[in-house]
Amino acid sequence: MGEKEESNEPQSLNPASNQEEGILDKLEKKAKKYLRGNKTNLKNLRDKKLKGQLEVREKIYGNAAKVAARAEEWLKPSEEGLLEPENPLERTYRIQQSSILPEVDVLSVSKAFDMKLPDLGPYTIRYLSNGRYMLLGGQKGHLAMIDVLKMDCIKEFQVKERVRDVVFLQNDQLFAVAQKKFTYVYNRHGTEIHCLKENQHPLKLEYLEKHFLLVGTNNFSQLHYQDISTGQVVANYRTGLGPTSVMCSNPYNSIISLGHSGGKLTMWKPTSGKPLITMLCHHGPITAVAYHPSGNLVATAGMDKKVKIWDLRKFESIHSIPGHAQTLDFSQKGLLALANGSRVQVWRDKGDQDFGLYMTHSIPKGYQVGTVKFRPYEDVLGLGHSMGFSSILIPGSGEPNFDSWVANPYETSKQRSKKEVRALLDKLPPESIMLDPGSIGMVRERQRKEKLTKREIEQQMVEAVVEVKSNVEIKNKTKGRNKPSKRAKRKQEEVFNAKKPFLEKQRETKEGPPQKKRRVLLEVAEDLPKSLQRFAKKKPM
Amino acid sequence: MADSTEKNRKKQKRTKAKAVESTFLSKTRKPEKKGKRKGRDNDQRKRRGGGPRLPNVLRQELGLDAKRNSSSDSDSEGGEDVRDFYELDEEVAQEESGKNRRFDEVENYQYELPDDFEDEEVPSDEGEDDSDKSEGEDQRDKEDGERHLRMLQDITGIPKEAFDGEKKKREEVLLSQADVRSEIVTIHDLLAPLQGMPGYSSLRKRVLQQEKQPMTLQAPLPKSERDKVQRKVSDKFARKEITKWEGVVKRNREAPTLFFEQDQNLGYSTVGAIASGFEPRTEFEKQMAQLRQDPELVEAYKNDGAKMLELNKVSVKDVIDRQNRLAKMRSLLFRHEMKAKRIKKIKSKTYHKIKKKERQKAASAELEMNPEAAKQQAIKQEQKRAEERLTLKHKNSSKWAKRILKRGLDVQDDATRAAIAEQLQKHEELKRKMNSMNNNESSTDEESSDDDDEEEDESKRALKALNKAKEKTAKVLEEGDEAPKKGLFALPFMERGLKKRQEEAYEEARQALEDYDATLNQLQDEGEEGEEETQQNSSAVKMTGKRTFGPAKKPVAQEYNKRKRLDDFGKDSDSEEEDGEFDEPVPQIIEDKNDKTEGVQLGTALLDEEQVMAQHAIFRNLDDMEKAVGPKTSYEVAIFAGDSFRKVRSDSGHSNKATTSSVIHTSKPSHETKETDQSYETDSDTEMVEGFLTTNLITDQKPDYELPSQAELVRRVFAGDDVAAEFERDKLETLNEENPEPEKPALVPGWGQWTHVQKKKGLPDWMVREHEEKKRKRGEALKKRKDAKFDHVIISETINRKAEKLMATSLPFPFTSKEAYEGNMRMPIGPDFNPASALSALNRPEIIKKPGLIIQPIEYEEVDPDETHDQPKRIIQGAKPKQSSKEKSKKGKLSNKLVPKTLGKKVKST
Repeated sequence: MGEKEESNEPQSLNPASNQEEGILDKLEKKAKKYLRGNKTNLKNLRDKKLKGQLEVREKIYGNAAKVAARAEEWLKPSEEGLLEPENPLERTYRIQQSSILPEVDVLSVSKAFDMKLPDLGPYTIRYLSNGRYMLLGGQKGHLAMIDVLKMDCIKEFQVKERVRDVVFLQNDQLFAVAQKKFTYVYNRHGTEIHCLKENQHPLKLEYLEKHFLLVGTNNFSQLHYQDISTGQVVANYRTGLGPTSVMCSNPYNSIISLGHSGGKLTMWKPTSGKPLITMLCHHGPITAVAYHPSGNLVATAGMDKKVKIWDLRKFESIHSIPGHAQTLDFSQKGLLALANGSRVQVWRDKGDQDFGLYMTHSIPKGYQVGTVKFRPYEDVLGLGHSMGFSSILIPGSGEPNFDSWVANPYETSKQRSKKEVRALLDKLPPESIMLDPGSIGMVRERQRKEKLTKREIEQQMVEAVVEVKSNVEIKNKTKGRNKPSKRAKRKQEEVFNAKKPFLEKQRETKEGPPQKKRRVLLEVAEDLPKSLQRFAKKKPM
Repeated sequence: MADSTEKNRKKQKRTKAKAVESTFLSKTRKPEKKGKRKGRDNDQRKRRGGGPRLPNVLRQELGLDAKRNSSSDSDSEGGEDVRDFYELDEEVAQEESGKNRRFDEVENYQYELPDDFEDEEVPSDEGEDDSDKSEGEDQRDKEDGERHLRMLQDITGIPKEAFDGEKKKREEVLLSQADVRSEIVTIHDLLAPLQGMPGYSSLRKRVLQQEKQPMTLQAPLPKSERDKVQRKVSDKFARKEITKWEGVVKRNREAPTLFFEQDQNLGYSTVGAIASGFEPRTEFEKQMAQLRQDPELVEAYKNDGAKMLELNKVSVKDVIDRQNRLAKMRSLLFRHEMKAKRIKKIKSKTYHKIKKKERQKAASAELEMNPEAAKQQAIKQEQKRAEERLTLKHKNSSKWAKRILKRGLDVQDDATRAAIAEQLQKHEELKRKMNSMNNNESSTDEESSDDDDEEEDESKRALKALNKAKEKTAKVLEEGDEAPKKGLFALPFMERGLKKRQEEAYEEARQALEDYDATLNQLQDEGEEGEEETQQNSSAVKMTGKRTFGPAKKPVAQEYNKRKRLDDFGKDSDSEEEDGEFDEPVPQIIEDKNDKTEGVQLGTALLDEEQVMAQHAIFRNLDDMEKAVGPKTSYEVAIFAGDSFRKVRSDSGHSNKATTSSVIHTSKPSHETKETDQSYETDSDTEMVEGFLTTNLITDQKPDYELPSQAELVRRVFAGDDVAAEFERDKLETLNEENPEPEKPALVPGWGQWTHVQKKKGLPDWMVREHEEKKRKRGEALKKRKDAKFDHVIISETINRKAEKLMATSLPFPFTSKEAYEGNMRMPIGPDFNPASALSALNRPEIIKKPGLIIQPIEYEEVDPDETHDQPKRIIQGAKPKQSSKEKSKKGKLSNKLVPKTLGKKVKST
């Protein structure tokens, strides 16, 4: 059994030329990654000046990519490890935690532990995005915040009320708890900061870091977006598909996905009252949803005894795992953990989206796993279950190198506060949540029916006039008719003729009569006599 | 001496003349002679054309050229030439000098030769040459000779005759020459003797050829053309001069960033720094400075200033007080002003009347208080009275009054009459003699006595008033029914109405009368009882107040309670919520229905939000089923969705019944399904413990899966089917919403239905066609949808208006293609995505320059045109521009490339 754990030593460098070449190749590959797409093809450009400018720009981009690649090469010494079978008959999922633990270093051993909290009910857990802190929420009102790096309990208190979900807000300073009636916000000392009464009877919470939005579903099958920096309720939509506690946000575009009892998975953004995408994923209620960090894959578990992994680019199920799952989670490196009862499975992409069982684990029988969550930047999987909490080691699950611009597990308080300010300054508006955030700043395709704005019409008119002025050749006429005044007049006429259609358009935009809405005759109406058909109304659904 | 050398030269030429013709060809004539010359040429040509060519000598003999001969004869030495010279002077005089402008100015006359005319026909004879020479020079020679003689004489002091001999000799030679060739020699003359010699024929040929060539001359170019040519040439040079800058400019233009020297001392940066360096220059400034720095003045200022400051000392409190006072005054003033403004605006007459009265009252009060004012008032009154008596202004003396009186007072309306009366009264008032103080008192006595009486017994006055009222009412009653018996009121129904009203009024009056009587009696009684009674009365009022308040309050409260209770009956849910049994605001219907099953509901301790939720789901499903037109057979399907519990019934009977039954059911299944429902999130504490226990028991073998019963399986299967169908329906709905189905063609209700003709014909063709077209379009639109290929996906195609502002509507300026723009945009340039070392290059501005830096004019450098811009930045002004320019002048190319400072120094030192 070969076991490769995180190797922390930087790669030794031999002066051998082939190795150097290899490094160069690697650098090139990485540089390509940092170029973020192909170089623009400038051959078709006619404008020489623009061409020159863009060439310079491309050069700068290339240099930046190179620098970034070099930085990555030298600043990222550790690689993720994973369990590898030594012979083809060996299976990695047969390896137990007990056999892993003696092999790893002391620090890693300390990361695997159990907490027995039998009294206050099933626990849900949540890690901070940098993996340093963890929230424990017992269903019967037990809340605890733990520094998992130092193994230090920061605060533990009782709300004496049912707790349905916990979530960290921007950093470890604040966290939100979905309690029996309202959502509450506490600080790290356990002081209640806010009671968000807008969202009553919350079921599940999710936090969108870049947008400062706290998203929650409630008992009335509503989806509720609230800006935690201003307190404003950004949106509150009725899903119309029943109350649900299956929610997950897409890390790529911050779209919220909800799983419903009808087997549907709906994707929402705060600026539209209807789901962007509705997918029929299962022939039964959906029990859990999780997104791959790339945002392209989503895993759903349904009551029809299936766990499916979907590719959102093709809207196709690329893998289907038989069995129930109460909870799902993707790790930073793309491992999928699913838990059912006291059994936990971890599936791994073996390449080309071919998922295979990677590890299994079972907690003492009778314990019901409620939540599985991978700890960011660590090879640890946290399990919140009915008898407390336990964390197990899953090699190769976490990102081995952290980017302090993104998340820093070791950040000081000053860094934290600076980051908070920066995040506030960089806060994205709720409109920027969309299926393809790459389209922001790009040229929007004009809708067919879309009317031109007044300014655009004016611009077009000016262009047309300029063209007419530069191109129109006025014929020389006979003696009397060739006076300069007449020529000028003729020219003006031409200009006016060019302007005319645009002026008409402008007038239309100004005082176009409001178009009558076409009524769609309903099927119900067919039963009625013709004269009464027009009064037939759509039945409220 | 010069002459002698010239002579020698001439002699040499004479010897060579015949052999070398080319020298003659290139020889030029002086411009003064061209007029004359031309004429002669013409003559020659005519002659040539006229007949056979003869030598000039022969011609002379023949007498062909008699005229000329005669003239030439008359002249002695080189006569013709001399005359020519004079002629020329005269000819040029007017027209050609341009003084006489009667004619259009012509650049060049036809008979004239251009300036640069090369005389090719100059006769190549030696004599001719000589004479040619002599023509201009003879005169000069003569003069020169004389001058020379004089000079020699002066220098040597020898008499003039000593040198004369030489000159005479020369003159003789000239004379002899002139004798031989007294007329012009043409080239033909010269050729004649050569006849028969070798090379003669070719020479003659050439001469003839030249003669054949036309003699017309090119007109000089017009001025504009000439200018153009000149411009062209100068442009070439200018272009050369300017293009040398091209390289520099191009490089600067292409550079993504221009740096203007960063480390330069910009001098003063603050006003203080500028002021400190100030030095007086002008007279005035100097004077000022002197005054300012005068020690005496400074001293005095220092002393005095300090004192003044001491005197000026005001305590902070005083200042604040003063400010407060001022503020108060200001606000008061403002308020007053506003009030005055408002009052000024009021136009109501009654208001002003009241105001006036008030004013008068105030004035009278003042009169009483202030004797001085009273005196003044009296004086004023007196004045007015005198005026009135004098003018009789108010005694119908005005125009208006006279006119009215003239027309007769009886004719006027009441108002006018009243006005006139008032006027007269005013007159009377004014005219009345002012009462003295005593008089005033006496006059008011009567009234005051009345007042006193009234004061004495108010009751009496009341009595009086009451009596009066009684009388009046009685009178009214007596007057009774004097209804108008004419016109409208004579109509029967009007009469009836009137009667009725009168009766009512009568009744009222009678009642009033009774009241009066009663009160009168009371008053009379009271008058006897006195004050005590009144006190009691007041207390009674108080008592009654108390008394009434108690019971009055109670009924109100009771009423309120009642109302509330009624309300409660009306909407039970509210009160229940308040009671706190149901904390969850649940839709109304459920609450109502819960009431009906209260016994079941409230009794169970399990009643929780979950159950409510379950009911919720049920109702939703029922609604669904109502909508769905499915088979009439009834199934009971239960599905567990998370923690919600669904119950489906395809057969929808009485909803109430259904709900009650389902509610009763719910408590059971929730217990039963505990095992299969693996959701850990179950409800109450006890249940959870149970859940543990059960799961403990069950998960011994297979924790996550229990083989379901057959019925369960069937249920699940049906549930699945239902889900798919539901989704299909949903998809259809969204499709219809986003691409609505076209309206079915229909006639306007009633159109053509009378005759049934339209019915038989059916719908008009165009309607049907339109409908088809729309249908087709819709079909296309549906096919184009992103989710057209997927059965299990609905992709909303509604446009997000809010996100539109995050995108560009058109390509930004320099870009012409979308591809280039998007390619340029693909790279993030923020610090989150790029290493710090690459960041500055990514978002460097176009120009970097210190504020306040003066941008020097561009300096010339030689630039390699093929140079590529490897350097992203380009420094325009080096740290020491002067030094660099020096370097440039010295080293040329070296300094053009950006030489680092140290290197530059090295270069300089070597």
